[in-house]
Amino acid sequence: MNRINTIEVKALTKVFDKDTKAVDGISFTVNEGEILGFLGPNGAGKTTTLNMLSTLLRPTSGTATVNGHDILTEPDAVRRSIGYVFQDTTLDIDLTGRENLDFHGRLYGLDRNTRQQRIKEVLEVVQLADRADNLVKVYSGGMKRRLEIARGLLHHPKVLFLDEPTLGLDPQTRRSIWEHILRLNQEKNITIILTTHYTEEADYLCKRILIIDFGKVVVLDAPDNLKARLEGDVVTLLFKDSAAIETFRPLLENKDWIRRINVVASGNNYAAISRMMQATPTQSNSMGMDGTMPQMTPMNVKEHESGPEHAQQKPEQSEADKSIQFGGETCSKCLNLLVDNGGHRIPEIVKLAEEANVVLESVELRKPTLDDVFLSVTGRNIREEEGSIIDMVRRHRIMRQARGQQVRG
Amino acid sequence: MVQPLSGQAIYVVLLRELKRYWRAKARVISSVAQSFFFLAIFGLGLRGVIGGVDGIDYLSYMAPGVIGMGLLFGSVASGVSVIFDRQFGFMKEMLVAPVSRTSIIIGKILGGAATATLQGIILLVVATLMGAFTPSLAFLAGAVAGVGAMLLITSGFVGLGVAIGSTLNDFHAFQLLSTFVMWPMFMLSGVFFPIDMAPLPLQVAMLCDPMFYGVELMRWCLLGSGTQLLGPTAWLISLGVVAAFDVLMIGLGTLLFSRAQI
Repeated sequence: MNRINTIEVKALTKVFDKDTKAVDGISFTVNEGEILGFLGPNGAGKTTTLNMLSTLLRPTSGTATVNGHDILTEPDAVRRSIGYVFQDTTLDIDLTGRENLDFHGRLYGLDRNTRQQRIKEVLEVVQLADRADNLVKVYSGGMKRRLEIARGLLHHPKVLFLDEPTLGLDPQTRRSIWEHILRLNQEKNITIILTTHYTEEADYLCKRILIIDFGKVVVLDAPDNLKARLEGDVVTLLFKDSAAIETFRPLLENKDWIRRINVVASGNNYAAISRMMQATPTQSNSMGMDGTMPQMTPMNVKEHESGPEHAQQKPEQSEADKSIQFGGETCSKCLNLLVDNGGHRIPEIVKLAEEANVVLESVELRKPTLDDVFLSVTGRNIREEEGSIIDMVRRHRIMRQARGQQVRG
Repeated sequence: MVQPLSGQAIYVVLLRELKRYWRAKARVISSVAQSFFFLAIFGLGLRGVIGGVDGIDYLSYMAPGVIGMGLLFGSVASGVSVIFDRQFGFMKEMLVAPVSRTSIIIGKILGGAATATLQGIILLVVATLMGAFTPSLAFLAGAVAGVGAMLLITSGFVGLGVAIGSTLNDFHAFQLLSTFVMWPMFMLSGVFFPIDMAPLPLQVAMLCDPMFYGVELMRWCLLGSGTQLLGPTAWLISLGVVAAFDVLMIGLGTLLFSRAQI
């Protein structure tokens, strides 16, 4: 089988003025037609890497080729080969959807006939044909994102960069966009690099996942392989009070059927914001993907699960719910155990707890997810955000923007 | 690596400026109205006190300056709008496309000059209707020349706007800029009083103001004469200064824009 490396990256590094190494010697290759995921928390260097690969930023050192063109010596050829859907909205909200697409088409040198034909084509792909002549100002968050994906495809790029494509969108819209992405990839064999901090998204869409942290490649492999590395089941214990963890943990440490013990991160800013946003009903003046269903918060999506049957979908709900149920502060009362044959060990764990006079409020059993993989390779919970306050506010703005709300300039 | 200019890119950036101008009706109407109020209130009000300047009716004397005001503020605002494009992300869409930044800038400058000139033409019509100018064949010829002058003047100031917009990182600095740079530029352009009578320090300040030469040029086109200080070849001197200003500003704007980080 002839495998073509559409993207080759060698030791790419970016140092910003104050010696901040945003990207530190990253190397990887992407095969033609592959969907590669960059998974990592904010500030990990995902966007900076994409900005370098798309020639928006000059690397401090290292090289890369995209579709056979060197990013340093052939930037125009690189730009012609890629489509980039940014994390923030980069549409002109004072123009209509069609005008935005037309603008893009002319910038990329498409002649009139090609432009008109392709505009029609991409509008159909993302199902925006009927709203194309409205001002983007009135589009919902999901519609804007779809328009941006349409725009990124207009010039038929070989490679598509998607930077947090479903950030801030409701679960239905997210699933819909996932389906669009999969279909694009399968029908047109477009190579895609997707950055995300949603583990379930990476799991669902990506052929391989590159976990990036502090600007470095931590691990690069297929999702199933990554999860298989964690041999065993994940047992999560919720204690009545956090002091109990101190007493109970040592008792577990000498059990040979327990492979790993990680303490789930305690309350932090991101968890608090994510809780706040999930609790407030989204006030969007727009329609969902099919125009009839109202916006739903993650809590009640469980009852209306209409997405594709996929085992990994369930963890999405339980992860999101966990941060509500357990909340920011009470997560310090959890213990994650990687256990051999977890189901059979639960009675033993419960008995141990009884004997030690420790009150267990709940015990959960599941297969390892990418969240667990992330925690095991980086030592941190991916939902732990270490970005600055400005990052957090900015992300909050992006999410509100995505939901179609007014953003104060 | 010299990148070729893309006609399509220039055209589409220009087109976008025109569309955005046309759609922001409130902005267009309020800036025309502002100039109208200036002309009407100060012109008619001060006419009684001052009478005329060098034999020219005060209202007529003020009119070119007030048109200049519309040109000045309109074109700088147009150029500075790159800062909005940067903040709201549209700039990234333009930068990741395979077009040279120079093409983008030229489109921006042409677009800004076109919209500001459009504004100027509207003001010219309004001023004529108010009686500041007497319609005649000679005037018509002058008006056409005046539109040419408008394009020339606005190009330079859009360039200045782009230069500023590429270096400033937030809108609030723009407030300071408006107060300390743009308003003095407007007031020193000779719109209210002729340079001949002014005290020396003011005269020096006025001679340093590029807008002064712009208004002089406009006055020559529309009224057939200008201030005495510069003499009979004032129009040539003004033309030269405005042209030099244009080259300088467009160059500076292009340079700073191509250096700007996303």
